[in-house]
Amino acid sequence: MKKSDYQNMWVYIEHDGRTAAPVGLELCCELRKLCDQTGDRLFAVVLGELPESELDKVKDCGIDGIIRVSGTGYEYFNTDAWAKAFTVLSRKYNPSAIFVGGTIDGRDFAPRFAVQLETGCTSDAMELGWDAETGDIQFIEPAVGGKIMAVITVPALRPQVGTIRPGTFPCAPVGAKQEIERIEERIDFDPEKIRCRHLGFIPDESDPELDIANADCIVCVGNGLKDSEHLERYRTLAKLLGGKLGCTRPLYDRGILPYKLQIGQSGVMVKPKLYISFGVSGAVNHTAGVDADVFVAVGKNPEAQIFNYCDYGIVGDMDEVCDEMIAQIKALRQ
Amino acid sequence: MLNILVCVKQIPDIDLVKMDPETGNLVRTGVPTLTNPLDLNALEAAVQIKERFGGRITLITMGPPMAESTLRECLAVGGDEAVLVSGRGFGGADTLSTSYAIVKAADMKGRFDLIFCGKESLDGATGQMASQLAERFDAAQISCCLSIEDIKDGRIRATRALENGRELVEATLPCLLTVEKDNFYGRLPSLDAYLASKSAPITVYAETDIDGLDPQKIGVPGSGTIVPKIYPPELPEPGQIIRTGSPRTDVGRLLELLTEKGSL
Repeated sequence: MKKSDYQNMWVYIEHDGRTAAPVGLELCCELRKLCDQTGDRLFAVVLGELPESELDKVKDCGIDGIIRVSGTGYEYFNTDAWAKAFTVLSRKYNPSAIFVGGTIDGRDFAPRFAVQLETGCTSDAMELGWDAETGDIQFIEPAVGGKIMAVITVPALRPQVGTIRPGTFPCAPVGAKQEIERIEERIDFDPEKIRCRHLGFIPDESDPELDIANADCIVCVGNGLKDSEHLERYRTLAKLLGGKLGCTRPLYDRGILPYKLQIGQSGVMVKPKLYISFGVSGAVNHTAGVDADVFVAVGKNPEAQIFNYCDYGIVGDMDEVCDEMIAQIKALRQ
Repeated sequence: MLNILVCVKQIPDIDLVKMDPETGNLVRTGVPTLTNPLDLNALEAAVQIKERFGGRITLITMGPPMAESTLRECLAVGGDEAVLVSGRGFGGADTLSTSYAIVKAADMKGRFDLIFCGKESLDGATGQMASQLAERFDAAQISCCLSIEDIKDGRIRATRALENGRELVEATLPCLLTVEKDNFYGRLPSLDAYLASKSAPITVYAETDIDGLDPQKIGVPGSGTIVPKIYPPELPEPGQIIRTGSPRTDVGRLLELLTEKGSL
């Protein structure tokens, strides 16, 4: 088969049986724009049961069709049944591209069915482009710790598979099309052949300090932090501002703060009114996760990329500036 | 006895990799290398399993001859045997072809019950290798493993981290695991093990050493993806830098500006 024989783009709609995860809707919205360029039709792929009201939300994102898969093996996520379903569907319908939300589950099964189909797989694109000459999607993503942007393509094989992190693209539904094709497929996966079985689930205890996605104010500490003994003042400042403490990836890697406080493409996406960074270099992977009304950067290196993203910057010792902020804010409030 | 494979990777220190502004190429010459930190968490998990249940650990990596130093570092921590897959034909590989080469090379050493991988590498950072290796090993998969509860009767019981909690799962062997670092912080080698690792034999497989290796499936020909272009990220115009002469007056000015904006 020639490359051009593969047509249409698919988006996997992740769900928990009750609601569709936002990332599937975000991808449908973004791919609507891409498909309008390429002339492909956009299909949402749903495995297992999902209420019609949730499917309506998906339809609102401008899809041309929906593929609903029923059968055994889809009660609880398992990589075996999921990967197999996409391999079977892809071999039958030959889509040009398959997009999967870069969630824990998505990143689990998408690379797996890419191997079953012996095709190219990319992860974490932040922008999508299209090369009209080759017909290839351009997956554009930060690389080497955010120092460069890399354009990645799947030049010969199909489908082009990409996992994309939640929150990368906005969910901006354009409205449902009048005609939406509906394909029903039955693909049974023998539950006996599921090799990794779900036995139980323990939800995380909710800790408000770890819930930063919707915080109005965030004080973010980066790799400039000397050690954990210097951390407390930033917590104090965050508290004083009625905000939350966050961090960049190196602080999680150094074991200083938990993963749930890591802000950026591979962590939490935040949209505070006020964001103050201390000792953050400004790698694209981090700044891509920050959508702040007012962005303040503090750090000792005047050349740091972070100063390109800030509204206001102070070049100086982060601890000293933080202590000064705490003192002056307290004074202001007296 | 469990036959355990740990997949590791030597990476450049990405903090020191620069882009040549003229050519747009990455300059790696002279850049120090290290063992991908998340792979050391995977190795630690394997060593804990070996201590609890008994087993033998084989390490495997693909890379240039210098990647041998990463294998020696891991041998010192707890590996029993090491395999380096190395040859020009393997170069320029993406995850599709790397996973193929690693599995074909590992097959030369027999069947593995457990395979451990880091969640991702800090340089490539696709996070795809583990899933693709699991598929090619025809193995079950437990990603983001937090703890290993038990291994018996050909099954492994473990907990894994999900976005909003932890899941208890049971998988059949062979099984591939990626680990969260929380319970698997790497350990330092003993002096004896460190010294022994310096002269330990390492199996090196070139393309022709691996049975049934399809040259079209390795390196660049076997890759599904290419990188036709890299460029520096477009930076927005710098913001207003407050320079009033002292931290005290800088902060004073900042707080005035934030008050005007209504941010405080």
